[in-house]
Amino acid sequence: MAIVKEAYRALEAVVGAGYLSDDPAVCEGYRSGPGGYENGLGYERVMTRIPGAVILPRSTEEVQKIVKICLRYKVPYVPYSTGFYGPRSHPHIEGALLVDLKRLNDFEFDEKHWYANVGSGFIYAQFQEECLKRGGYGVIGGGGAQASVIANLIGDGWSPLSHRIGLPHRRILGTEMVLPDGEILRTGSLAVGDDPFWGDGIGPDLRGLLRGYTGLRGCLGIVTKMAVKVLPFQPERLEPTGISPDTALALPEKRVKWINYIMPSKETQVRAMYEIGKAEIGGAVTKVPLFWRAIAKAECKEEFWDLWLKETPETVANFHIVRVLLIGFTNEEQLEYDEKVLSDIMQELGGSPRRTKPSDESWIKNADSAGMWLMCGSYVSVDYVIETLGQATEHGQVYADLKKKYTPPLMPDHGDPGWFQSFELGYQGYSEFLIYWDQDENTDGVDHFYLETSKMNINHRFYTSLLGPHQPMYLTGPKYGPNYHEWMLKIKNEFDPMWLCHPPVPFAHDEFVRRAPWMHKLADWESPREFPYPQWLKEKMDAEAAAFHVKK
Amino acid sequence: MISKDELANIVGAENVSDAEAVLLKYSRDRSLVPAGSPECVVWPTGSEQVGEVLKWANAGNIPVVPVSSQEHFNGGAIPRQGGIILDLSKMNRIFEIDKDLKKARFEAGVTWGRLTAELAKKGMRTIMPLLPHADRSVLTDTLEREVPTNTVYDYGEPMMAFEVVWPTGDIFRLGSASVNGYPDSMSKGGNPSGPGIDFYRFVQGAQGTMGVVTWTNMKIMFETKKDKVFFAPVEDLAYAQEFLYRILPRRVGQEVVLLNSTDLAAILAEDMDAEFEKLRATLPPWTLILVVSGLLRRPDEKIAYEVKLLREVMKNEFREMHLSEALPGFPGLGSKMLSLLRNPWPAHLTYWKNRWQGASQSLFFIARPEMSPLYVDIVEAIAPRYGYPVADIGSYIQPIEHNRACQVEFTFFYDARDEEAKARISALYRDAAQALVGEGALFTRPYGDLAPMVYERAAGYVMALKRVKKLFDPNNIMNPGNLCF
Repeated sequence: MAIVKEAYRALEAVVGAGYLSDDPAVCEGYRSGPGGYENGLGYERVMTRIPGAVILPRSTEEVQKIVKICLRYKVPYVPYSTGFYGPRSHPHIEGALLVDLKRLNDFEFDEKHWYANVGSGFIYAQFQEECLKRGGYGVIGGGGAQASVIANLIGDGWSPLSHRIGLPHRRILGTEMVLPDGEILRTGSLAVGDDPFWGDGIGPDLRGLLRGYTGLRGCLGIVTKMAVKVLPFQPERLEPTGISPDTALALPEKRVKWINYIMPSKETQVRAMYEIGKAEIGGAVTKVPLFWRAIAKAECKEEFWDLWLKETPETVANFHIVRVLLIGFTNEEQLEYDEKVLSDIMQELGGSPRRTKPSDESWIKNADSAGMWLMCGSYVSVDYVIETLGQATEHGQVYADLKKKYTPPLMPDHGDPGWFQSFELGYQGYSEFLIYWDQDENTDGVDHFYLETSKMNINHRFYTSLLGPHQPMYLTGPKYGPNYHEWMLKIKNEFDPMWLCHPPVPFAHDEFVRRAPWMHKLADWESPREFPYPQWLKEKMDAEAAAFHVKK
Repeated sequence: MISKDELANIVGAENVSDAEAVLLKYSRDRSLVPAGSPECVVWPTGSEQVGEVLKWANAGNIPVVPVSSQEHFNGGAIPRQGGIILDLSKMNRIFEIDKDLKKARFEAGVTWGRLTAELAKKGMRTIMPLLPHADRSVLTDTLEREVPTNTVYDYGEPMMAFEVVWPTGDIFRLGSASVNGYPDSMSKGGNPSGPGIDFYRFVQGAQGTMGVVTWTNMKIMFETKKDKVFFAPVEDLAYAQEFLYRILPRRVGQEVVLLNSTDLAAILAEDMDAEFEKLRATLPPWTLILVVSGLLRRPDEKIAYEVKLLREVMKNEFREMHLSEALPGFPGLGSKMLSLLRNPWPAHLTYWKNRWQGASQSLFFIARPEMSPLYVDIVEAIAPRYGYPVADIGSYIQPIEHNRACQVEFTFFYDARDEEAKARISALYRDAAQALVGEGALFTRPYGDLAPMVYERAAGYVMALKRVKKLFDPNNIMNPGNLCF
């Protein structure tokens, strides 16, 4: 469904005809999936829509004008950068305007003060290369090097490198955003001038509106510019090697080194992470699922399965790797020192080193997210949570136990308990649990599993990444905070009283459960008969729900 | 009219007072901010009582000023519109010190003196600002973004998940402490972010205007095994900053500070009358102090690689930088300085800033390090206009995050009994602040007179801030009259 003609003409006047289109072929290009994150699940089928038009602004001022026109003509809109986050980044309503921010690709680097000022279209591949050139580095989040730096940093922003670098929130400096009411908000040092070097607010910090732990999925405005903190790395060049897709960065061995240790038990594996954190060494300390090794080795789906089916529940249960990145930030002697300390720890715990390639295939260079599609065609992380090493090292097993009930349709993984690692030198721990499925099969079980994990986390009193718009707000809201959802709702209503910014997020997963009949049997939490939308959205949601049921 | 009886019903009669002497104590602090009296003081003993008091105050539109420390220097806790003081000093439990998770959880009333002592018993420490008063609340100073002297940690912010009581009286745990049943939970409170949005950001730097933080988790670390304290006399501040730009990104050192002779003399003098002037006259204009530490494992080797880099940089690039373990003319300074950097200022002594003339006023802000010489020049040009000698200005520069930024602090010392001097310092403070703001100094903690000066330049931010504030504090009961509220 196209947007109204008057609105279209007004928008065209802002960006020019070349950067606005309602051509069905262009709009089809923005369909959620196939081949995307969370691809083929009920949420995607039920909630996503092809945009009514696509617009590509070039500046904050153009974004502001677009938002104001949308307000004037009541056109719902969705900010979009590189679209990794699958269905949740796409319109959920017919006739929405998709605001593609790729042309906001400005970039400037302040070497002396360790930050880069980027636009929403600037991606991690560019960012990391510019950082490395200057002896700095950043974190390429799990979305991969093709992801927008800003989009990633307002919803994610971590990797194994977070052992040293820490929470992404702390790397967000002066930021510019267009609020849903069309006002421009500048935070950090940008609030009082043009210099974006500092992140803290003047008094209370309105970076609080930006993301939460895993983001708002674009329902509270459009970030157009951000100064991002860069961390000092080491001065030697990491040389690109190989031929695509088998590329790597050759590491200067006296300054950067990955080392894998095989530990005798889970207990020693976890203890090693604690001790490395206490000793304050390393640039990354992580344990990854065993099947990621099969992904890394395989060049096609068949080869993956050949490798993976040689494993058994026993081999998975007895796989206790600790993968450590050492960085001589200070000098070569630091790397020698770190390596000796690491060796001491490993000797005490019975860890044995394995031959490790003197190159980086993933994390400094990239995040190997592309490989995640290899096995089944679809995947999603059902949790990616930063807490402490206390939670992180126990969380995955609870997921693995629940997952057995839903395998198939989930990929058989021999009970692998997922990924965990140290963050901020052991002050925090990270765990991630990924699931894989074939989108050509019935995925109702995947939808059920996704939602059941939320209940599991509530019952076991785990913190979880999938709060806010990622799960039903009326399920998680009363159980975290408590009642964080009520505060979020107040903020949404204050800044976006018309709910034009990516409706019906943050209640989209509630809406999904309401619409999808196969989800109803799981809906055992208290939920209002009517969601707190403005009238126009209520009518729209009712119509879309009715249309879905007719279609079914 | 505030009903003392109603408050007594919530916190107990022994925890409420409207005695004149008590009210007087809370009506002023050690800053230049004018006095303002509360009508009543309450001392809650737990979060539930805090919640009940706030519900009561919200229902009656009664201003509430939360207080946790027993010493105040910036005027942020002086009531502007009467109301009640909510003094959290009786909420002073340290719930846990977890050496594996490297965190402590404690209440708002826990002071630097108490926390550092308890941590030391377990071989632990925490990063801290330069010489906080021992009776200051750790939670408040951290929430208010007091800048730590330790520059090596990439993660900077030491606060983890905490609890806040909103002005409506709702008790809310944020970050990973938000799980049902915390702390009896798998989640231990390591992550301040979420749930949903980053609530923790709204209460940072808020001077108690957004809610009452009752307890927090905070990062702690193991004590160092060995330390070397280096000093360098500095004549040229710009040169010293270039040196710090060079070495701090290489992750050298733990604590790093730059102090001018007046501030350093005020810190070092044991007998002010006998030593202060002599010290001030003999200390170099600036002194760079850098602590290199050996941690839990192989401490000598850690120190060795850091020192190697320092020596190479000085030999090859900064020949005029003479960093050594002794400051010429001041033998034995290393161990004394280390103790000063790792401990709060003792509660039984007059605070170091007030020892010289009885009172002081500090002006501090965030800046690009390369701008610090300009800021020094500006203040030194303005001070004489108010009859304040340039030599009497205390100056302190605190590098932050590998020296990608710094905090610059100027302290003006005065005799609190001299009203005329007080008025002159007050005018100097405002004039200097105005000039510094004009040159890009960033006042992220605008206390007292600074608030209107800063916020008038941030119209968009103020508008959004007021909207957020109204959602959490619809009746503007929390510390009204502060910041832009």
